[in-house]
Amino acid sequence: MTAFTLNVLFAVIWVAVSGSASVLNLLFGFAVSALSIGLVREQAHGVSYLRRIGRILSLLALFLRELALSAWKVAVLVTRPRLVVRPGIFSFPLTVGRDFEITLLANLITLTPGTLSVDVSEDRRTLYVHAIDCSDIEGARRDIREGFERKIMEAFR
Amino acid sequence: MITEALLLSAGIWLSLALLVLSFLVTVARVIRGPTLGDRVVALDMLVGIAIGFIAVIAIKTGFTLYIDVAIALGLVGFLATVALARFILARGAAGAEGEGAAMRGEDAGERPENRSKMKQERKA
Amino acid sequence: MSLILTLVTVLLLVAGSAFALMGSIGLIRFPDMFSRMHAASKAGTVGSGLLLLAAGLHSADLSIFARALAGFFFFILTTPVSAHLLARAAHKAGYRLHPSSVADHLRQDSP
Repeated sequence: MTAFTLNVLFAVIWVAVSGSASVLNLLFGFAVSALSIGLVREQAHGVSYLRRIGRILSLLALFLRELALSAWKVAVLVTRPRLVVRPGIFSFPLTVGRDFEITLLANLITLTPGTLSVDVSEDRRTLYVHAIDCSDIEGARRDIREGFERKIMEAFR
Repeated sequence: MITEALLLSAGIWLSLALLVLSFLVTVARVIRGPTLGDRVVALDMLVGIAIGFIAVIAIKTGFTLYIDVAIALGLVGFLATVALARFILARGAAGAEGEGAAMRGEDAGERPENRSKMKQERKA
Repeated sequence: MSLILTLVTVLLLVAGSAFALMGSIGLIRFPDMFSRMHAASKAGTVGSGLLLLAAGLHSADLSIFARALAGFFFFILTTPVSAHLLARAAHKAGYRLHPSSVADHLRQDSP
């Protein structure tokens, strides 16, 4: 995470030095500083910063795709003449532990097809998810574990 | 050139009509309730629809400043929903009692075993 | 080029308002508050977000489009937070699921 703060700082400095405060210039400065930090870090201790950025971008792409899919699914469900829903709240055992990761996972779950995160247990081990179609609890758990949770682990561990 | 303007205005009118329809449907949910929570969800949705209205008006009039207005409205709507959620939490079971009665009347919201559990909770 | 821009704008306009309509129909048809939240938080957000994107695209100005895009991401980030908060508050305050629900693990674990 320190590398990321450094990256943002470099981007701001780039904007200040180059003298045009537009979003595009900020993005360009961000890309340049990411590239330079990535080069330096690769030399220093082999942690690939660039690859991590790539993984975060792939997480973003997955998220946008799921969002579009979920809106579509709600639309299809709603326009069906006979509404058959089996809603319910199921528990999901968390593998990710840090607050930041749990927040991200809960937000991603809320915006994916048919699921809505309701609560986190006190010990941060269980996430309670409301599903509009709760007939296959094991399947829903597996989807989250092998989809978002793994992507988050890849991106931030 | 002519077809373009025609296409755009047709799209604007179609989307305005759809938005008016969804606005009315959402207002129906606000009026019907039956619980406070349902009304809060519907009001949250109303803010979303109003943002959509503002965006369409921005296209129709050509004033791009409306986009900033829409973003500001989104912020206010988010804060309002958060505040109303806190209000529901603060009202707690005392609020759910009155609303629960309304739920039994219209949507038959609870199972008998849950109802007895809730009574135990209230005693505790 | 301008024709394509207009076409995409019109497409976004119609799709966005159609999603908003689907969301509000879901709001009226789903059986309980938690299911209604699904319709409002997903279809509603995508609907207004698409309309905002259409407004940004129609201006054909990069800085305005960037602002609309920022607004879109802002909505996407705030909606799950408010939906989560509302669902949690409602469940804690004693709102129950509809009888057709098949499970309520939260109720079992923390009665």
